Amino acid sequence: MSATLGHILRRAARSLWENLSLNAVAAGVIAAALLLGGAFWGAMSTLNDAVEVWEKDVHLSAYFASGVDEERQRAVYAEVQAMPEVEAVTWVTAADARGYLEERVPDIQPILVELGEDAVPASLEITLRARYIGDETLADFVIRLQRAEFEELDYGKEWVERLTAFLGLLKALGAALGTLLVMAAVFLVGNTMHLVTYARRAELETMKLVGATLQFIAAPFLIEGAVQGLVGGLLAIGALSGLKAVLLGRVQELVPLGQAPLADGSLGLATVAGLLTVGVLLGVVGCGSAVLRFWRQAP
Amino acid sequence: MIRLYHVSKSYGSTQVLQDVTFRLSKGEFAYLTGASGAGKSTLLKLLYGAEAPTSGKLLVGGVDASKLGPARLPLLRRNLGVIFQDFKLIPNRTVFDNVGLALEVIGAERREISRRVNAVLNVVGLGGKGERRPLDLSGGEQQRVAIARAIVNDPAVLLADEPTGNLDGAMAVEVMEILLSINLRGTTVLIATHDIGLMERFPHRRLRLNAGRLSE
Repeated sequence: MSATLGHILRRAARSLWENLSLNAVAAGVIAAALLLGGAFWGAMSTLNDAVEVWEKDVHLSAYFASGVDEERQRAVYAEVQAMPEVEAVTWVTAADARGYLEERVPDIQPILVELGEDAVPASLEITLRARYIGDETLADFVIRLQRAEFEELDYGKEWVERLTAFLGLLKALGAALGTLLVMAAVFLVGNTMHLVTYARRAELETMKLVGATLQFIAAPFLIEGAVQGLVGGLLAIGALSGLKAVLLGRVQELVPLGQAPLADGSLGLATVAGLLTVGVLLGVVGCGSAVLRFWRQAP
Repeated sequence: MIRLYHVSKSYGSTQVLQDVTFRLSKGEFAYLTGASGAGKSTLLKLLYGAEAPTSGKLLVGGVDASKLGPARLPLLRRNLGVIFQDFKLIPNRTVFDNVGLALEVIGAERREISRRVNAVLNVVGLGGKGERRPLDLSGGEQQRVAIARAIVNDPAVLLADEPTGNLDGAMAVEVMEILLSINLRGTTVLIATHDIGLMERFPHRRLRLNAGRLSE
């Protein structure tokens, strides 16, 4: 048994060395498949994380009706602050809001003058505690918040819901595309390995004719496949890290992704382990299917 | 050692072997003869399991070769030595590696492989040429490498497909003498050949195939 293992390991090492270019091509194919799949998964994951961050960051703006004096506003502010769902609340007076608007949009001043003193209403900016962000609890809270003093309640829940629905659709498409990618990768790796076995068919055929078992013939190929997958995985990890560092930085300049965990340029241990595992599996399955095909055809 | 009962083989509508029945005892030496296309190679392929008979029963060393699944086929082949017409040597492996392959597949230790390969290379007159590549050798030497690989395992049965077909007269005689010496050690030998001169020089039992039918 140990002698057989020794023969298998020697064969695998010799084959890896003697078929360096073919093995490099196979590793490259695996790396390309992982890079495509990894980039897609990374984009989905980043978007998902960002939406989670946005979902947890639901703010409500409660705009006071004109005519509610500051004393009454202060009283309402105190009531809202005392509500158990509220994490924080900021009272923005009409003057503060106007000043903020003028600062952000300098050209708006003539319009505000035209509209008069009540153009920009005072408001309460409310941040909810995380456990009250669910759809039903949020709806309940909005009902309990309704008061005569408020003219309008505005919260960004609707667009987050729309984004979540869109993301759900994107995930379904992603799953289909991911399945296609994996199938294409297995097909590509399988065919590359078929070329490897074809190049060595005389040797393999002779081995079979002198009494080698399928396991004896296949084992070195499976080891080769695992090494190809490992190398392909490492190449993909390097390329993905580079891509992420370059692209994600640019994206974050344009779109605030909150505290999305992929924003630092590193892939994370789970992703690295996942890419290596998938790479090794691709290599092993590709090589295994090629050897099995040869075994069935050889005399 | 080898028994065939009413064995037939056809490829589509082409009948290659028809109702072939014969028996070869342990330690026997026989020629399988006939014109090109008579079915000699096909019969040998049936014996080492590269083809399955269309009908009939085929026993090699007590094993029904016609019913062996892919998992058990290697076990049959390990008890057979086969000398292929085209040698089937691996060109990028040394002579030593080519011969040692038959021992590697059964899990022999490296030291044991080294001892037996060197011994058998001496038997076939290739001592000292173990590190050469097959393509660096003459046709006769390549034939002897193929013989060495077939006998290194001490097989119970040796099958040879035209083992002297590519050789000149003197070399053919040399190869025949090696095969006869192997037979003297108790190995059953079946040689497919159409070399009448050789069969007359080394007379033994002849199994004649004519259009797929066997006669003696």
